[in-house]
Order: sequence, then C-alpha cells, then structure tokens
Amino acid sequence: MSILKILGRVAIAPAALALSMAAASADTIRIALAETPSDELAAFFVALDRARANGLDYEWTAFSDEELAIQAVISGQMDIGFGTPYAAMQRSKAPLRIIFQLSKLKFFPVTTTKYSALEDLDGEPILLHSRGGGTDSIANVIEERVGITFGERSYVPGSSNRVAALLGGRADATIIDLSNKNKLMRSEAAGDFNVLEMFDVEASDEALFANLNWIQENEEDVQIFVDALLGTWQDMAEDPTIIRQETDPDGPIGQLPQEILAELDGFYKDAVEGGLYDANGGGRKAAQADLEWYSSAGQLEGDPSELNIEDFWYLAPLDAAMK
Amino acid sequence: MPRRALLLKLLSAAILFGAWEVAGRIPVSYAFPTFIDSMRALLEMFADGTMIAAYAETLKPLAVGIAISAVLGIAIGLWVGLSSVFDWLFSPIFVVMQAAPLAALIPLLVLAYGIGLTSKVLVVCIMAMPVIVLNTSGAVRNTPESLKEMGRSFLASELSIILRIIIPAASPVIFAGLRLGISAGFIGAILAELKITPTGVGDIITFSRSIADYPSMYAAIFSIILLAVLFLNLLEKVETVLFEGNQRGYVSD
Repeated sequence: MSILKILGRVAIAPAALALSMAAASADTIRIALAETPSDELAAFFVALDRARANGLDYEWTAFSDEELAIQAVISGQMDIGFGTPYAAMQRSKAPLRIIFQLSKLKFFPVTTTKYSALEDLDGEPILLHSRGGGTDSIANVIEERVGITFGERSYVPGSSNRVAALLGGRADATIIDLSNKNKLMRSEAAGDFNVLEMFDVEASDEALFANLNWIQENEEDVQIFVDALLGTWQDMAEDPTIIRQETDPDGPIGQLPQEILAELDGFYKDAVEGGLYDANGGGRKAAQADLEWYSSAGQLEGDPSELNIEDFWYLAPLDAAMK
Repeated sequence: MPRRALLLKLLSAAILFGAWEVAGRIPVSYAFPTFIDSMRALLEMFADGTMIAAYAETLKPLAVGIAISAVLGIAIGLWVGLSSVFDWLFSPIFVVMQAAPLAALIPLLVLAYGIGLTSKVLVVCIMAMPVIVLNTSGAVRNTPESLKEMGRSFLASELSIILRIIIPAASPVIFAGLRLGISAGFIGAILAELKITPTGVGDIITFSRSIADYPSMYAAIFSIILLAVLFLNLLEKVETVLFEGNQRGYVSD
C-alpha cells in the first residue's frame, strides 16, 4: 500500500467513526454519570430499569467528576448528564436545560464539641469538598446568612475522607453529607462531635440535564425517562425499601458488595426522612431555590429574581409526568 | 541564521494560536474559549495577583522536587552507570517508577505521606527522577571505551577520568534526560495539585472549571506550559555555557 493510500485511510477513519456513532445515538440514549455506581445511585438505576421496561434503550458511562460529565454533554458526546451545571449554562451559553432534580443539597456542619453553634465558627478553619463545589457554596451561604466569616478553608474531596480527618483529629469543623453524618453520629465516637443547627436547603445537589436541541428531538424518550424517575421517586417516598426490592441483581448496583446492598434500606429510609429527594422531581420550586442558592453561592451572576427559570430548566416533560 | 530561526518560531506560534482562535470562534465546543479570551483572562489573573499567589504555591513542590530529582538523579545515574552492582540494585526501581501508573498510585502516597508538601514533592520526583537516572546511567555506560583507554594511558586518576572524560562525553544525553525529566516534573506538579489537594495553579484549573470560567482554566494551563518551555530554554543555555561542544541546535531553542 502506498503512503498516500495509508494516509487517506487514516484521514477517513475518524469521519467514519463519527458517522457510525451518530447513527448509534439515534436510538440509544447515552447517560453521563458523575461518579461510579454506588448506593446513592441505586434509586436512579431502579428508575432506569423501569424506563427500559417501557422501551427506553440506554447506555451509561461513569465519569470521574461532575465537570467532565457536564463537558461531555456540552460537546455532544453524551446525551444526558448528572450534575448542577448552572455556571456552565450561564457563562458558556451552552443550551443545557435541567429536566429533573435527583437530590437536594442536604449537607450538615459537623464539628468537634469545641463548637456548638454556627456562630462559634467565626474565624475558625473549616474542611470542605472542593473550591467552587457544593459544600463551598454552603459555606458561602452560611457566612452570608449567619454573618460570620470562616477562617482558612482547606479542601478534602469526599465526605467519608472528611469524617476520617475529623476522627483523626486533623480537623475540628467540616460539612458532610447525610449518610456520613448519620454513620458518624451513630458510631461510638458520636459523643465527641456536634451536628450544628442549620437552615433548610431546597436547592439541587444532583439534577439531570441535557442539550435543549436533543431534548426537543427526543421528546418521547425523555418523557419515558422522566415518567420512570417521577414514579420511582414517588414510590420511594412512600416505601423506601422498594429500591432494594427492585434493584436488578445483575445490574451495576446489584453487583456491589453485599455489605453495601444490606444497608440500602437504611440509606434510603434516612434519605427520605431527611428530605434528600423531592417526590415531585423538583420542578419550579427547585428551579427557583437553585437560582437563589447558586446566585448567593457565586456560581450564577445577576439578581436571582431577574433570572428566567426557562433559561435553566425545561419543565414540559415533568409537567406532563405530573398529570 | 538566528534571525531566521526566530522568525520560524514566531510563525509556528502564530499558526498555533491562530488555529486556537479559530477553533474557539467556531466554537468546537461551548467549553473551549478563544485564544484572545484566554490571554485576557491570563492578564487579568496576573493583574489581580491571583496567578502570582498561585505560582508561589505551585513552585514550592515543583522547585524542591526538580532540585532533588536533578541532583540526586544525576548522582545516582552516574553511580549506576559506573558500577554494575549498583546498576543491578537501583535500575529496576527506576524502571518500575517510570512505568507505574502514578495517578492511580496517588491514594497510596497520600496514605503514607499525607496531603501536604511531602506527597506533592514525591509525585514530582517520581515523575522526573527515573528519566534522569536512566538517561544518565545509559550515557555513562556508553562512554567510548577508546576515550577512557586514552585517559588511562596518560595515567589519569579514576576521578579525572570521570570528571574530564566520562561526564563531558555523557553530557548531551544527561541534559537530554534532564530536559525530559524536568518536563515530566512540571506534569507531576500539576497532577499532584489536581489529584491530592487543589492548591496553586491546579486550584485555578479545577475552580475555573467548576464555575465554567473556561478562559481562566485554559489560561492557567497555558501559563504552566509557557513556564516549562522557558525553563527548558534556560536549561539549554546552561548546557551551552557548561559544555560548549554540545551545541547542535535543539528544537526548543
């Protein structure tokens, strides 16, 4: 084969690949997860299984963090993503829209017994997930509402790692998620720590979003998906144990270690009691709360009352599912 | 001649940045900013001091790691090249270090050395040192036998043979190893800041990404590449001053 021919083939290959991928995407929806499947995603996978039973064909890819999942959706390599891409929607003018609120930002300030109220944390160092992340935004809003200023903020990704830092005496104050707070406060070490009283947060931690064009071109698939999600979230609100019951033993959650599966019922019972999931998929209430929250957290610019919900959410599928 | 080289370099930079600008304007992705936007963000970050504070943080592990890797790497490399016993003892360690998927091993480093400066310096060293050691030892081992023979016939001591014959003969490859090692060290410093705890330039990258400020994100990436290129050029000047005979025209000059 001559060099020209080889070069010709090399040049054609990516184009052919792109074409075949475009063809494949017409009927299979590609979901970008922001983390590897874990107990927190069990309810989502139950909803996916229900959607599949109604004719939705999907495949999922787990990204190592939320920003990569967002970028994959922005660039069209993935159809639906996980996360709260408010900053990306506003700053990059990417036509992304949220269609469903998966979970709320339920995080808790936990400290050693040195502190007993948020006011005590004025000027004190605090351990958070990452700069610009959810716990960082919670810290910003605490500062604003309580009128304090935290001392040095250091960042350790993962609630369980921050609990380890608390237990190891390397930190005195942090903000952690519901399940880690419960684990810590039910352990023998609970007496050494305080969960500080905090205001309620209705804003989204994880939401499902996609490109507006893609949503409009695939109305039917999106509707099946949102119907399944809403159904699952409502059933879960009534009986959290359905998640464990409906988990496919051969699926990504069913394959998790037995110890994790055994705790699924407890996890979802706590989560439903703690208000982690909105049985109505968020909708306008969540959208409004998000705009206010992410504005005060510094992810959105401008006065939240002047921001238009329709620029961030696409509510038609959820509205149809609620009927 | 130097004028022409300079012109060619400027031309290739102009083509690259032009292509970046075009790609940003199409845009290839909503997450890909134009060259001009990125440079504006870079200037803004320098003007408000963010970038300077970030580099004060990033340069700590980078400078310490590169200094350790260069000094220790060349010393161990010479030693390994000169003695088959040390070759046997040390070479495998560095071959393993070079082949190890470092990003996957970072949790292990954090477990052993915590989240502070030590872990980050280690990441820089693990990235930089193997290339330096292996290049140095290979170069030393491949010193032409006839040159060493000549030294011995002039009754040169073992030390003078090393200092006057082996090191100058090996210097081009030692410097090639240093250049490769130091570029790897820059990668290591950023890798550590992205994977261990976000500080300095790594923090600007992750933070701007999380608030979708893509121009700042690419500006930070661009600045670290620029710094690496400048540093490698400086290293080359050092080489020409130390070993004049090595000038053979490098791509990076």
